[in-house]
Amino acid sequence: MEFDFRNRDYGADHESHLLPRSRTQNHPLSSPIASRQQQARTVRGSSDLDFFDPLMGLNASAEEKVEEEKDTSLSIEAVTQDLAREWKSLKRILMQHFPVSKVISFSPVSNVITKGSKVETPSAQPRLEETGSEQTSLEETAKVMDQQEYLAKVRELIDGITNAWQVEDRVTSLKLSIKVTKLLMDTTVLQFYPTVFVVVTDMLDMVGDMVWERIKEKAEHDVDGTLICTLSNNFQASDICLEARETCYNWFCKVGSVRELLPRIYLELAILPCWRFLVNQPREVLDRLVMMVRGLADPLASVYCRLYMVHRMQKLGFCNSGYLIKCIKDIEDILAPILVDKDGCSYITDDKKLLFNLMEPAIEYIMKCLLLTGRQENNVLGMLEELGFGKNKSQSSDNCTHVSILLHHLLKELPSELVSSQAMEILHMIKCSDDCSFSQVLNYRLLGIRLCEGRSQADFLSALISEVMQAASQYQTLYDYLRIMDAYVDLLLQNKMENHLDALLDNIVYLARDQFLSEEEQASLQSIILKLLSHFEDLQKVLSLNHFIEILDLMSGTSKKIVNMHLLNMGTRNGCICDSTTVQLLFEVSQGLYDATDFVNIKDDDNRQTSHLISRFVEMVDYGAERERQLLFLAECRGAFSGIHELKETLVRSSNTLAVKSLKAGKMHINFVKSCLAFSEVTIPSVTIPTKQLNLYLETAEVALLGGLISHSDGLVISAVECLEDVAPTDGLKSIDVDSMASVVCKLCSLLVMVPGNPEKGVMKILKSIFSATCSSSWAIPRLKVKILCAIISLLSTLSQDNLPYRSANPEIIGNDILFFGDSSYKNELVSWAQLVVGELVEAIEQESSQIARGNIALEACNYISSALIMNEKVSQLCLRLLETAKVCLGEKDRYLEATKQSLQL
Amino acid sequence: MTTVTVKLSRSNRIYRSSEAVEGKIVIKSPNSISHQAIRLSINGSVNLQVRGGSAGVIESFYGVIKPIQILKKTIEVRSSGRIPPGTTEIPFSVNLREPGESIAEKFYETFHGTNINIQYLLTADIPRGYLHKPLSATIEFIIESGRVDLPERPLPPEMVIFYITQDTQRHPLLPEIKTGGFRVTGKLATQCSLQDPLSGELTVEASSVPITSIDIHLLRVESIIVGERIVTETSLIQSTQIADGDVCRKMTLPIYVLLPRLLMCPSIFAGPFSVEFKVCITISFKSKLAKAQPKSDPTAPRLWMALERLPLELVRTKRDQFSC
Repeated sequence: MEFDFRNRDYGADHESHLLPRSRTQNHPLSSPIASRQQQARTVRGSSDLDFFDPLMGLNASAEEKVEEEKDTSLSIEAVTQDLAREWKSLKRILMQHFPVSKVISFSPVSNVITKGSKVETPSAQPRLEETGSEQTSLEETAKVMDQQEYLAKVRELIDGITNAWQVEDRVTSLKLSIKVTKLLMDTTVLQFYPTVFVVVTDMLDMVGDMVWERIKEKAEHDVDGTLICTLSNNFQASDICLEARETCYNWFCKVGSVRELLPRIYLELAILPCWRFLVNQPREVLDRLVMMVRGLADPLASVYCRLYMVHRMQKLGFCNSGYLIKCIKDIEDILAPILVDKDGCSYITDDKKLLFNLMEPAIEYIMKCLLLTGRQENNVLGMLEELGFGKNKSQSSDNCTHVSILLHHLLKELPSELVSSQAMEILHMIKCSDDCSFSQVLNYRLLGIRLCEGRSQADFLSALISEVMQAASQYQTLYDYLRIMDAYVDLLLQNKMENHLDALLDNIVYLARDQFLSEEEQASLQSIILKLLSHFEDLQKVLSLNHFIEILDLMSGTSKKIVNMHLLNMGTRNGCICDSTTVQLLFEVSQGLYDATDFVNIKDDDNRQTSHLISRFVEMVDYGAERERQLLFLAECRGAFSGIHELKETLVRSSNTLAVKSLKAGKMHINFVKSCLAFSEVTIPSVTIPTKQLNLYLETAEVALLGGLISHSDGLVISAVECLEDVAPTDGLKSIDVDSMASVVCKLCSLLVMVPGNPEKGVMKILKSIFSATCSSSWAIPRLKVKILCAIISLLSTLSQDNLPYRSANPEIIGNDILFFGDSSYKNELVSWAQLVVGELVEAIEQESSQIARGNIALEACNYISSALIMNEKVSQLCLRLLETAKVCLGEKDRYLEATKQSLQL
Repeated sequence: MTTVTVKLSRSNRIYRSSEAVEGKIVIKSPNSISHQAIRLSINGSVNLQVRGGSAGVIESFYGVIKPIQILKKTIEVRSSGRIPPGTTEIPFSVNLREPGESIAEKFYETFHGTNINIQYLLTADIPRGYLHKPLSATIEFIIESGRVDLPERPLPPEMVIFYITQDTQRHPLLPEIKTGGFRVTGKLATQCSLQDPLSGELTVEASSVPITSIDIHLLRVESIIVGERIVTETSLIQSTQIADGDVCRKMTLPIYVLLPRLLMCPSIFAGPFSVEFKVCITISFKSKLAKAQPKSDPTAPRLWMALERLPLELVRTKRDQFSC
C-alpha cells in the first residue's frame, strides 16, 4: 500500500492551536517602573518615611546626603575611632612602603642591640657602662646586620620588658624600655626608620597600658586588695587616692630623669594618659611636650616624634587643634632649612626626596588628625586662620609661603565646601609655595580634583581657572600642563566655560607641536579626552571642538586604542550615523583600532569588544538614499577589516538590508540588488561558523527570491546545501551545535516551500541533496538526523497540498502548487520520497544510543508522520512500531507517550 | 628564726617634724620568746665627711667630722614580758617634737649628698638578757619641713634672664666658635619649690657652628667648715638634655626638670655646713675634639662648650604634692 499525504488546512490548524488572547492596558515590563515612580511620589509627599526603597529615585538620597554634609561637626568618639583605625593603617603603610635592602650597617648608637640583650641587674649597670665605652671603639669598625636579625633582637628586648613586668621587676622593665626607645635616636639608615618606629612605638603603647593598668589598680584597690572604688571612664584626679598618685608621679619622675631628650619624650608620651590621675586639665603638660619636641634637631626623628605625640594625645583624650597647629607650624620651621640650601637655592637631591618620602605618611596623619579635630570642634576656618592659611593676600604678601608638602596634605583633608569657598586663597598659596618637598603641579592638580568634588559656584571659577591655566602654561612642558588641566576639565565642562575649553585645547596643541608624546603624557591626554567624550552626548559636538582631531592624532599606542574605543562607542550609541565626515573619522578610528589589534592570534575579551564595536559601527552607518555609496563602503570595510569574523555577518546583513531597501524603492534598481547579492554571495564563504554561513545563505536567498531573481536564489540555496555537505567532518560534532544545525535545516526546508522547483534540473534536486547530505554526513548524529528527516517529511507533505501555506512576497514568483497543479508525476515523486525518508527515519531512530532520547524522537517522528500522512494500514503499523519503541524506552506511563496515543486515536 | 621588722604607716615614709611617726613593729617567731623590754629609738643627725674636692690631704685623712645631733629619743613601747609564737604586731606612735619641747638643732630635711648626709633613723631594740642575742631593726624615714613655717605657694616667679655668647665665657673656646659667635638666651626660675619642676625656657638665637647638644645639669654644692677653712664640694646630681642636634634658631625650647627626691632638699645655710644648688647650662658645639675626649665631668669647661652657671634656691612650699 502506498503512502498518501493528508490534506492540510494550515489556516484552521493555526487557529485551533492559538492560545486564547486577551487585551491588556499596560505593557507587562513597564508596570514595575510605573509603580516605582508612583511609590517615589508618595514617599516624597509623606513626611514620615518608614520604608525606603533603595532603587527609588536617586534624588531623594542625594538630598539626605546634603543634610549629612551640612552637619560637619563630628562626635569625639567618632574622631577617636577614626584615628585609631588610621593609626593601624598608618603602621601597616610604614612597614610595607619602606622596604629595606637586606643588609644594613648600623652606627654605634645601636650598640644597645649589638651589646646583647642580657638583662642587667641595676647594680651591675655602672660596671657595664664602664666596659661599654671600650667596646664601642671595637664595635664601631664593622657593624653589619641583617634587618631581620636586628628586629629579632629588638623583639627579644621587648619580651624582656614584659617578662620583667610579670615578675614585678618594674625597674628592669623601665630600663629596657629606655634602651629600646633609644633606638629611635639613630636615623643613619633612613629607610629603616619607619619600621623601627612602628616596633618601638608598639612597645611604648604596651608599656603605657601596663603602667596605666597598674596605677588604676592602685587607685581602685588598697594594699590588701580590697576594693576602694571603681573608676568611671571620666574620673577626676580627685577620685584618686594619694598612694596611687604617688606611684604615678614616681613614674613621671623616673621617666623625667632620663638624660637624653628623645627617649625622655617618647617615654613620657607612652605614659601620657596617666596624667589624668594627677591633673584634670593637662593643658600645661601638652604645651610643654609640644615645645620639648622642638629640641630634636633631626628632621626625620622630630617629625616621627610628633607623629607619636599626636597619637598619644588622642589616647589621652585631650587633643585640641591648638597643639596640632603648633606641631604643624614647628614642622614647617624644621623643613624650611632643608628646602633651602646654604646658597639660598632650593633643588632636590635624592636624599631629600627620600627624606620627604619618609616624612609624608607622618605629615599626612597629623593633618588628618588636625582636620578631624577641627571638624569636631566645628572650627575649621578658625584653625586655618591660625595656621596662617587663607589670610588675605594683602595682609601677608611675603608671609604666605607654605611648605608645599604640608599644603598638599592640608588641601587633601579640607572639607570640600571649604575648598570651594576658599579656592582663590588656596590657589594663591599654591602659587607661592614652590619648593622641593612636593610637586607644585600635583598641588594645582589636587585643587582641581577637590573642587570637582564639591559644588562650586561658577562666579569665581572662571577667574580661578584662567589663573590656573596661566600658571600651568608657565611650566612649558606638556606633561605638567596636562596633569594640571586634567583635573579641571570636568569643572570646565560642568560650568560650560567654552572659551576656557578652547584655550585649553589650543594650548595642548601648542605645547605638543613637533613632539612625540611620552607614555605619561599619553595617559594624561587620554584622561582629558575621555572626560570630554563622556561629557558630550553627541559625537558631532566633540568633533567640532577646536583642534580635537589634531589632538587625537597626537595619541598613539594603548592610549590611542582606548580613546578610539570610546569614540566608536560614543559614535554608535545614538542610532544611525549619517554624516559622511563622522563616518570617515570613525572609519579611520576603526582602522586605527584594527591595526593595533592582533585579531588572528589573540582572542580575548578586549579583542572581542573591539570587533564588536567595529561591527556595530559598520551596522550603524546609513547613507540613506546613497545606497551605492554604502555598498562601496561595505566593500571597503570588508577589505579593511578582513580579520574580524564577526564583521562578515554584519556586512552580509547590511548588504541584504540595502538590497531590500532598494527593492522597496522600485524595480529600476534591480541591477543594484544584483550587485548587493553578489557582494553577499562573495562574502559568505569567509564566514567560518557553518551554521552562520548557512543562515546567511538562506537569508540572502530569501532576498533574491523577494527580488524575483530565481536563478540567484537557486544558486544560493544550492550553495547552502553544498555548505551542508561540506560541513567539515574534521571539526567533529563538537563544533556543531546540534540544535542550531537542526533549526537551520528546518529553515532551509521552509524556504523551499516558496522556491519553485526547477523542472530542468529535477524538481526534487535540492531536497535530494539535503537528504543525501544528511544520510551520508558524519556530523549528523541520530537525533539531528531524525529532526532533519521529520522536517523533510513535513516539507513533502506541504508541497503536496493544493494550496501552499505561504508564498514569496514577490508576485512574480509562482509557487509549486500552481507550477505543478494536477501533475501526478510530481505527486508520485513526493510520495516515493516520503517512503524513502520514512525508511531512513525509522533506521535513524534505532541508532540512537540513549534510551530516553530514542523514546522521545520515536514519538516525535510518530507525530510528524501522523500529521503528514493519511492513516492507512501501513502508516498505522509504522506508528505502532514507533510507539512500541517509545514504550520500551520511556515506560508505559510516560505522558508524552500517552498524549501521542490519544492524538493518534490508536 | 625570729625576725623583727619595722613598718611605717606611710609607704613613702615621709613625715613632717610636727607629726608623729606611726607604724608597727612586726615580730615573727616560731616559738615564744621573752624580752626585757621593747624600745624604740629615733635618731636624727647631720653626718659630715670631708674627702676629695677642695679638702687638703690632712683633712681627708682625718675624714670624719663629729656629726651634729638633731634628735635622739628613746621610748619603751612594751615593758618586759613574753611574745607568743607566730606573728606579733606592736603598733607605735612617736611624736617627733612634743609641744614646748626644745631640741638642739633645727629639723633639717633628709638629704643624701656626697659629704653631707642628713638622716633620720628609727630603730627597734629587743634586748633579751645575756643569754640571747638582742633583736633589732632599723628603718630610715624621711623628714620634710613642717607646714607651719613654710611660705605659701605660688612663689613669686623669680625668673632670671640669661644670655650666653662667646663673650660671656671665661674659658677658652675653639677659634671657629669664638669668631663665628653664638647667642643663646633664656630665662630660668632660680627660686624653685621642691614640689615643682625646674622650669624656664631657652632660645638659640644664633650660632655659626652647629650645636650638638644643650644640657641642663643640676649641681649640689656642699660646704663644711673644717677648722678655719671651708671645704666645698660641687657634684653633679642629674643631667637633662633639652636639645639634641643643631636645633632651629629662634625657637623657644622649654626647660623642664623634675627635681629628684632625696637627692635634693631646701637650701641650707647652717653654721657648720651649708647645702646649696646650682644649675649649669651647657651648650656643646660640633667639634672633632669632642669625639676624641673621653667622657668625664660634663660640666667641666671645654674648648667646644659654652657654660652658664646659675644659682638655684630650693624651698619647701606649703602645699602638699598633688593635694587637691
